[in-house]
This record gives sequence, C-alpha cells and structure tokens, in this order.
Amino acid sequence: MDYILEVNNLRKGFKNFTLDNISFKLEPGYIMGFIGPNGAGKSTTIKLIMNLLKKDGGEIKIFGKDHIKYEKEVKDRIGFVYDENYYYEDLTINSMKSIVASFYSNWDDNKFYQYLKEFDLNPKAKIKTLSKGMKMKFSLAVALSHNADLIIMDEPTSGLDPVFRREILDILYSVIQDDTKSIFFSTHITTDLEKVADYITFINKGKIVFSQAKDDILENYAIVKGGLDILNEDIRKEFIGLRETKVGFEALTDNVNKMRKLFGDKVLIERASLEDIMVYTVRR
Amino acid sequence: MLGILKRDFVLMISSKQTIILLIFYIPFFIMIADSFMPDILYFTIIIFYSYLMSILSFSYDITGKSKYIMNSLPVSRRELVLYKYLSTFIYFVITVVYVGVYLWIIDAFNFVSVDYFNLTQIANAFPVLMILTGIVYPVYFRFEPKIAQIIQMLVMVFFFTTTANISFTGDKGVLIYLGKLQWGHIMVIALVIYVLSFVLAVKMYDNRDI
Repeated sequence: MDYILEVNNLRKGFKNFTLDNISFKLEPGYIMGFIGPNGAGKSTTIKLIMNLLKKDGGEIKIFGKDHIKYEKEVKDRIGFVYDENYYYEDLTINSMKSIVASFYSNWDDNKFYQYLKEFDLNPKAKIKTLSKGMKMKFSLAVALSHNADLIIMDEPTSGLDPVFRREILDILYSVIQDDTKSIFFSTHITTDLEKVADYITFINKGKIVFSQAKDDILENYAIVKGGLDILNEDIRKEFIGLRETKVGFEALTDNVNKMRKLFGDKVLIERASLEDIMVYTVRR
Repeated sequence: MLGILKRDFVLMISSKQTIILLIFYIPFFIMIADSFMPDILYFTIIIFYSYLMSILSFSYDITGKSKYIMNSLPVSRRELVLYKYLSTFIYFVITVVYVGVYLWIIDAFNFVSVDYFNLTQIANAFPVLMILTGIVYPVYFRFEPKIAQIIQMLVMVFFFTTTANISFTGDKGVLIYLGKLQWGHIMVIALVIYVLSFVLAVKMYDNRDI
C-alpha cells in the first residue's frame, strides 16, 4: 500500500513535553482528522512533518519519500494552512501571492484568482486589513492553487464562526473528490470532523490513543448511562472514562457487548460522539 | 534564488520606513561626513547601504512569524542560507548603481562635490561588507531575530567607530597597521571568513528548530 503520509515512531522531546513514538498512516483520497486537547502535540507533529522542528527519532515519509532527503520535491506537492496568519502583514494579497507562487513548480494563477473570487477577497487588500476568517481563506487559496496532493492544516477552523467553518469544510470536501489528494487536518473542534473526516487520529499527552477509520471508532465507542447503585471499584475500572453526578453516572466504553452482558437493561447505551471520546479519554 | 530576491524586494518597497531610510540616509551621511570623514564618504555609504539591504529581510521576521511560511515552501534550509549569502553580492551591485546615480545627481546639480564612482573605494568596500555580513548572518540563522538584531547593531556601531577612528587618527592611529595589508590579503581574509561563516550558518540553521 502506498501511503501519502506515513509517520513511524516519531519522537521529539522538549523541557516539559515529549512526543512519544507516535505512528499513523494516511492513504490517498481521504481526510484524516488529527484531534486532541490543547497541548497534546498536534502542532508539534505538524511542525515536524513540515520540518520546522527537528525530530529526535523516528521516520516521516510523504508520498513514500523521506521528508528531509526529498524536502523540496515533497513540499512542492504540499499545501499548508496554519492556525494563524504567518504571512507578511504589510503586503497585499497580490504581492504575497507573487512571492509564494515563485517557489512552486505547478502554481496556477487562474485557480488562485478563481478562489479569491469565490472567497470574495480583494487582491489589492493588505493582509493586515483582513479579518481572521478572510486570512484563513487567503491561506486556503494559496494552499489550493499549486495542485498540491496533500493539504496539511493546523487548526484551520479555530476562532472562526460556524458559517465560515462550514464553508471551509465544504471546500475540503470538494478537494477530496479527486481521489489522489488527501487532507491532514488538526482540530479540537471535533464536530467539524464528524462531517468530513474518513480517519481520526487521536493524540493525548504526546501519545497516540488511536488512529482508525471514523466509522469504526463511532461504532466501537459508546456512552453508558446508569444509576450510582451499580457502580463499585471493579465496575469503575471497566470504563475508559467516567463522570459521576448525584443522580447517576455517564461513562465511555469501547466494548459495548461486554457492557450489555454486565448490565443488561440496567443501563442506557448511546452512540458516543468524537467529543465524548476525546473528553472522557482525556479525563481518565 | 529569484523567489528569495523577489521576497526581499517586495518587502523593501512595501515598507515606508525602509524607503525613507534609503532616500534620506545619503544626505544625512553627506552632512556628517563634511565634518570628519570626507575622504571615505563614498566607501561608508556603499558599505552602509549594501549591509542594510542584506540584513533588512531578517528584520521582517522580528514582529511576525513569516519564517514558518518561508520554511514551509519548497526550498531547503541549505538553499535559504546559500541564497542569502549569494544575495549579498547582488545587493552590493545594486548599491553601487543606486548610490552612484544618487550621488551623481547631487554632484551634477552642484549641491556638494562628491564621488559618485570610485573603483578603489568600491574594491575596498567589498571585502569589508563580506566580513561584516559574514559575522552577522550566522547570528541571524542561529538566534531569534530580536537577539540577532542587538548583535548586528553592535557590529554596526563597531564598524562606524572604527571608520571614524581611521579618519580621525590618520597615520597616527593603531589601525594604521591594517593599512600595511594589501587589498589582495584583505580579500583573501574576507573570503575565508565568508566561506567559514556560510558553512557555520548552514550547520546551525540545518539543525535548529524554527
């Protein structure tokens, strides 16, 4: 199997944080959501993939090639969108475009101006005069205008209103209709991913909790609701995460059949959302 | 290479502060040079402008995080360093042309009588620029822009103090001993410094977190 992005045993240590031997793979034609709470290691992983940070160990392959040995070739086929605007604020959209375009071998000016029109962006506007959403759209227009095969996005929807977010997700969805392209998309807004992602990689405290197909995750995990009377120390250990209130408990499980056998009709078993999975796993 | 130059020029002409600096520093130099360094005015202006143009692009990273963008584009870190070192020569040529035209206009209109093309001073300025940028570039490639800016200012202050010292003390100053070196010797020293500086900068930039 040829993977568009392959991360194996990636390691990076800081004073107060370690990215601990993480591994995951992304196939062509899919969107992978990269979720985790703030400080879990999402941005660090993306910076390592983009070679902005130097890895301490492990391997990163993009389009089947080492991301440092073939850095130029690989980056020519990557579109990137970061969580904030890193473009030169004093430049106009046009000037910034002309700088960026000169680095790419497949830059498509027509496509870029088509996106500007679609996003309602004035090419003569200075970047500093754009709102956060517009800056994000500009970044997206740049990322999509050089026929990139892999789009890497670090929290592109954070701080945006639901209308903007939906627009961005629709664009991503249309990009993925070409089954040679893939999107790797970090976020802590899990509802965005439930709409568009095919795979979910969940990172917490620098470790991968899981990296699986979204449908499998949503099928395997469930929320169990019941009264406090059925809880004891052994039962508590059966859950991934547990929340107890005065009237009862809510817990996350990844073994629905076992729960049914254990509790029968005494509990209510409901579908878990990605947010539930993230919150209960982080709290455990 | 063209991409890097394009970025530097677009940034240069988009900044009002830079344009003001490039336009008004020559009259400023002429004013102060009249009092204590008329002989090396042309030399000083050439050095100052080419040095300024060479390090200016680093200063845009001080307030922003545009380094993330540059390092995410299809260009390797080694190439970024190499282009920076090569661009010094291009800035030097541009400076000679710009300063030449500017001073020619000043001279032609009889505002002040100044050199607008002096091959000896151009030849003397070249190794000095290589030494100055050779000291400052690795600092910018290794440290955060704010720290690097402080160091480069110290280099600039050192250079101008030394230049003024040469002017003031003439053949009685300690620096006269440098005068015993031939241009060729200085050029070789400058080249060695510049190449070593490049190797060091590549090594440091290649291994650091952005």
